[in-house]
Amino acid sequence: MSEVESLLVQLEPVTPSHTVDDVSELLLHDDYERFLCLPVVDAGRPIGVISRSEMQKIYMSMYGRELYGKKSVTQFMNRKAVVVDMKQPMEQISRYVTSNIKFPITEDFILTRDGQYSGIGHVVDLLKVMEGKLTRQSEEITRAYRELQASQSQLIQSEKMASLGQMVAGVAHEINTPLGYVKNNVSLAQDVFAQLKGLVASYDELLALLMGGEAEETAVVRYLGEIDRQRNDFWSVYPAEEVDNLFGDTLFGVDQISEIVLNLKNFSRLDQAAVDEVSLNQTIESTLVIAKNVLKNKVQLIKQYGEIPAVKCSPSQINQVFLNLLTNAAQAMDGNGKILIRTWADERYVYASVQDTGKGISKENLQKIFDPFFTTKPVGEGTGLGLSIVFKIIESHKGFIRVASEVGKGTRFIVALPHPKDSRHANKPELDTAQA
Amino acid sequence: MQTSPSSTQRKLNPVTSTVAVNRPTILCVDDEERILRSLRMLFAQTYNVRVTTDGNEALQILQQEKIHVLISDQRMPGMTGVELLRRAKYIVPNTMRLLLTGYSDLDSTLGSINEGEVFRFINKPWDADAIKATVASAVDIALSLGDMTLPAPSANSTVTDHILVIDEDPLSAVQVRELVHEHISAGLVIHHAATIEDVLEALRQHEIAVVVSEVRIGTADVTTLIKLLKRFNPRTVSILLTTFYDASMLVTLINEAQVYRCIPKPIRAKLLLRAIEGALESYWSFQVAPSLVKKHEVEVSKETTENPLASRIVGFFKSFSAQRT
Ligand SMILES: Nc1ncnc2c1ncn2[C@@H]1O[C@H](COP(=O)(O)OP(=O)(O)OP(=O)(O)O)[C@@H](O)[C@H]1O
Ligand SMILES: [Mg+2]
Repeated sequence: MSEVESLLVQLEPVTPSHTVDDVSELLLHDDYERFLCLPVVDAGRPIGVISRSEMQKIYMSMYGRELYGKKSVTQFMNRKAVVVDMKQPMEQISRYVTSNIKFPITEDFILTRDGQYSGIGHVVDLLKVMEGKLTRQSEEITRAYRELQASQSQLIQSEKMASLGQMVAGVAHEINTPLGYVKNNVSLAQDVFAQLKGLVASYDELLALLMGGEAEETAVVRYLGEIDRQRNDFWSVYPAEEVDNLFGDTLFGVDQISEIVLNLKNFSRLDQAAVDEVSLNQTIESTLVIAKNVLKNKVQLIKQYGEIPAVKCSPSQINQVFLNLLTNAAQAMDGNGKILIRTWADERYVYASVQDTGKGISKENLQKIFDPFFTTKPVGEGTGLGLSIVFKIIESHKGFIRVASEVGKGTRFIVALPHPKDSRHANKPELDTAQA
Repeated sequence: MQTSPSSTQRKLNPVTSTVAVNRPTILCVDDEERILRSLRMLFAQTYNVRVTTDGNEALQILQQEKIHVLISDQRMPGMTGVELLRRAKYIVPNTMRLLLTGYSDLDSTLGSINEGEVFRFINKPWDADAIKATVASAVDIALSLGDMTLPAPSANSTVTDHILVIDEDPLSAVQVRELVHEHISAGLVIHHAATIEDVLEALRQHEIAVVVSEVRIGTADVTTLIKLLKRFNPRTVSILLTTFYDASMLVTLINEAQVYRCIPKPIRAKLLLRAIEGALESYWSFQVAPSLVKKHEVEVSKETTENPLASRIVGFFKSFSAQRT
């Protein structure tokens, strides 16, 4: 049975031929006890309702019964009864009934099908159905909300993956450059060695000739000439200085690659505790290696590191904070620009600021930038999660973040983390280690 | 990475500064001097090698000296490799352009097709023998081109060349037809191919000047076909018009198919029109000066032998060219 049908109460209606007295009798009958009113139907079509309260008015007036008792009920009925068609959806019915029924409620409403009278509906039943519906809806909303939360954490994960993608691009580039010349130099060194082998072989032959006793002078001269030619060839193709450089560069490149790997390790902190005491200066340095790709070559970096104490934090999370801030700064600058990174401390907090000369943030947007999914960037470039994650991380570290921005001039973010010696931050930062 | 002070003080051209007159010259541009030293040593025996860390200086060198092959890094401060190659294309069109990059992201690969029109895209770290072979073929082409100038495009409205649109969506062909008929010439014949069969049929019937293609139709990978088409029909110029592309696919399409343009969908009329115009001009120039076709020489794809589709298409081209001769 549909919701609408469940409202239907079948009831024999009265007709225009019924008198006021007839109706009053019906209303007093046990079968009609529950009804506020009786429908009046003519040739199958509802034409009005006559309510208990209307009847009471008639009988309570002086000589009411005597004057009106024999009159047709149609003279007293409410011709503007609330009539709804059962084919309409529940929501529409409920909206129509609640906005048309008179308060206090003295009448029920009439249900029809294709204009033909079907029965009557109680307002109370309607309200009950609607209440059930609302409860179900709010359950659905709760469930949807829970799902949304889950998908948000998935999105945060995918934002991490996206920044991982950028990182990989940057690191690949940083490593492939030294790898490029290292590999090439090793190939060259192979050639150098091949030539040297030839030269040494010629020496060997000469030596064998000389040791063998009766060496003919012309043969020796011939060998010496050959060796001399090979030597000259060798030095002209591989001048000593260049070969030295070759090896020097190769070692330098290999060192460079190890340094990148070390920084990567520092950045991810995979081999270290989730919570550690680190200097923000060092954290920023590792992050810069990773962020290099994002910063491209267009931005000029100015670093003003202060003398700051190590702070207790989750280094990988703090890395994420700086990576997001630096990425935003770089993305805010179209052409060239500067990024100023400063660190300093007072008795209560250790601070780091990232300031750019980018396009700035309007007053209106400034209030929204920490909201999840707020972004002004095109699809694909921004998910709008960067700063919301920054905010969450800083919050869980019991620190705070401030932003100042001027459109066309630039933006500065200041991150503050509790000073390790300040006892006012009594309780330890509650770190979300699961995310680390 | 920072460059150590000792390295910047080292002179870059200490020994090979004497120019051997008869050798071809290559110019290497990279912001990492160690790359330049390494490349110079690799090539010094065979070519005159000029190097610079600065894009602007490279442009000056190109204007002052005959450079046969230009090899540039992509990521450099001041000027990107794509930008340098793009400008080089106008100054010295017959200098073969190679991009050498540490990471092939979408920007640089798209840029090197659409702007740089590069001959080869090489990833770092490179293989010494492979890069030698690539540079050698580039040098050969540059030598054979000499100072030949591109014939002025004969933009006449009576052309009746054939353009083949490869796309499951027939709308692409409709749009191409409308565009070229209105803006280039009503005589151009547009064919639509929705399957590999259709493509082969069109190739059997007509000499196709320009191919405008998706990279996939249904489950079939069209890139194999585009590569082979360029190998066997080097005069045909191809344009990618596609929703799907990634950097590594584009790299092979540069090296093995010399795609002329890659245009992302949805179709932007102006961009597509300009690409088709350019492609037709290239095609016409090959007819006036057939040796220019060498500029589009492709690397032979590795997949040809393994892929059944590829061997079928190779079979088609071989039997087809046998019939024609
Ligand atoms: N340094 C900045 N300069 C100018 N605008 C900024 C800066 N940092 C943030 N914004 C603004 O704040 C918005 C939200 O930043 P947030 O980092 O949360 O997301 P996003 O950068 O758009 O996307 P995502 O970080 O997920 O890639 C940005 O879209 C941008 O409009
Ligand atoms: Mg961001």
